[in-house]
Amino acid sequence: MFRSLQARYMLIILTALILMQVGYLVLSIAMSFGMDMEPAVSASDVEAEWHEAAGSLTDVSTDVIRDLFARWKARFPEASMFWVDGDGVLREQTEGREGELPAIWTSVSTAQFIKSRYGGDPFTVIAFVGEGGRGGFVVIEIPRFVFDPPINQVYQQYGTWLAIGMIVLVVLFILISYLFFRRIRKRLMQLQEAMSIRDVDGLPVSIELSGKDEIGQLEQSFNDMVLELKESRSREQREEQLRRELIANLSHDLRTPLTKIRAQAYTIGKQEVSDEGRRAIEALERSVVNLDRLIDNLMSYTLLMAGRYKYDPQNTDIVRLVKEHLATWYPLFEQGGIEVDADLQPVAQGEWRIDPLWMGRVLDNLYQNVLRHARSGRYIQVATAATEQYDAIVVSDHGPGMRSGQSEEKGAGIGLSIVDRMLRGMELDWDIQSDEQGTTITIKRYRK
Amino acid sequence: MASILYIEDEREIGEWVTRDLTERGYQVTWLTSGEQAEQHARQADVAVLDVMLPGLDGFSVGKRLKREAPDLPILLLSARSAVEDKVEGLSFADDYLTKPFHPEELAARIEVLLRRTQKVEDVLTLRHLRIRPKSMQIIDTRTGEEIVLTGKQYHLFQYFLRHLNQILTKEQLYEAVWGEPYIEGDKTLMVHIRYLREKIEQDPADPQIIETIRGIGYRVRR
Repeated sequence: MFRSLQARYMLIILTALILMQVGYLVLSIAMSFGMDMEPAVSASDVEAEWHEAAGSLTDVSTDVIRDLFARWKARFPEASMFWVDGDGVLREQTEGREGELPAIWTSVSTAQFIKSRYGGDPFTVIAFVGEGGRGGFVVIEIPRFVFDPPINQVYQQYGTWLAIGMIVLVVLFILISYLFFRRIRKRLMQLQEAMSIRDVDGLPVSIELSGKDEIGQLEQSFNDMVLELKESRSREQREEQLRRELIANLSHDLRTPLTKIRAQAYTIGKQEVSDEGRRAIEALERSVVNLDRLIDNLMSYTLLMAGRYKYDPQNTDIVRLVKEHLATWYPLFEQGGIEVDADLQPVAQGEWRIDPLWMGRVLDNLYQNVLRHARSGRYIQVATAATEQYDAIVVSDHGPGMRSGQSEEKGAGIGLSIVDRMLRGMELDWDIQSDEQGTTITIKRYRK
Repeated sequence: MASILYIEDEREIGEWVTRDLTERGYQVTWLTSGEQAEQHARQADVAVLDVMLPGLDGFSVGKRLKREAPDLPILLLSARSAVEDKVEGLSFADDYLTKPFHPEELAARIEVLLRRTQKVEDVLTLRHLRIRPKSMQIIDTRTGEEIVLTGKQYHLFQYFLRHLNQILTKEQLYEAVWGEPYIEGDKTLMVHIRYLREKIEQDPADPQIIETIRGIGYRVRR
């Protein structure tokens, strides 16, 4: 039942409250036994009674006085009394005050005594004995607290102990609360530490349950979450593996026959063939290359669309990247009889945060398009350009343009879709201008 | 005659490549699976490996071959064109060619691998120059005299020879030869190329050996 931390803490508070209340209750009950809440006697009553008792004495003798004292002592055990006779001699006194009082009472010492006791503590009543005071006077001294209500008396008698008891209770309460929270804190800290541990796969590790309370439930939820994460990770890995295998198999299945077609074409090409045959072989060869390119683009596009194309951005010297990349393409343009005009000047912000492989792929696709569709223009320019807003890489050709509607052009579409996706993925802008005079593609990076 | 260990499970492609490479003057050992590949590793000068082999895949066969003969250059032939596949392949292989490949390209790449391990004839002829790349002896065949290069010219020319037919940018050349980052506008490289041309070109004003590729860099072509 008290597995919940909240319930446990409520229990501690309740115990503390109840303990205090019960303490008071017990105290009050204990005091109300044999003690009324009202004082037993009032000071004025005592004064009147004392006068009455003293005044009504007739045969004044030591015995009579002793008897009087004994009766009053029984009633007020805290009281002390003494008797001074008509000659001013101290004749009788209750025990405990020997030596304190003068043996002979003169008018001066009497006046002094009266003055010192007036309104003070103990409460003092002086009464003449017998008719006309011939028997001298009797004095009764009662500590004032006797006239206090009983609860006050208890405070006076046990006040310190009560205070100590209260302090002990409060301290105990604070201590128990502190220990309670310290334990929670310790467990939370351990939990936090355990939560930050990572397995080799980068996922958190399950933790041992430390109880069945709220923290225990939290740990349980955490473990459930870790399990779900692990499952989802392994599912992801399985899917990734499947995807890679699928693509690899697909590549293999598509490209193996292509390789065979190429082999056949090559073998035929080595024989004596007519010009028409030679042209057919060349067309075959071109189709193989185009188909291969298309397969590659399709796969890349699928990966890009699925967000599975590995992206690893680095600070890259763009001009250098474009130049070195163009160097690898140069022989192909040369072979195709295409003049290469490289005009790559340093740009204002030459360091671009891009994935060099992605940029390479973008340029591959652009150059590929030039080779396939703009060969007739016999020209490609790769240049840098700059405006106030951006730096740019410009690839232009003198081909027949993109919208000339030749069936061969259609393959460019997916290549440009990849270009678009990749450039946007690298936070670059681009545009394309194409007419019968040629195509110009501008890759822009706005200045930051 | 250089010996090629060729592993390919596709019969048609295997026959075609074997015939083509044999015609080009190589001695080809063609296996249809990777099981016995290691036994032939020691005799081969270069290995050409199809990645999608039945049983053991090409990557595993390649790694086993490398363990058996660490110096054997391996060319991976694969239908997989994804970057990660290439990266994985090139972690142990020396080259990677995707299908459908052209036989000329395959032959050219095999040639490069053989040259890199110096299994090919040790003399290189560039127009009027006869060069022994290992000792960097350069003979002018017109006069029979040896051309002597200074330190930097020597490094520069050797770097060109190691990257025959490739266009090298100023940055690449400078950083390879001087070993420090190229600063835009630095004329040092151009000056050294001019001196080098004066020594090796027939007409330094119209260089035939070290070509200038305008806007990009330089190239030495076979």
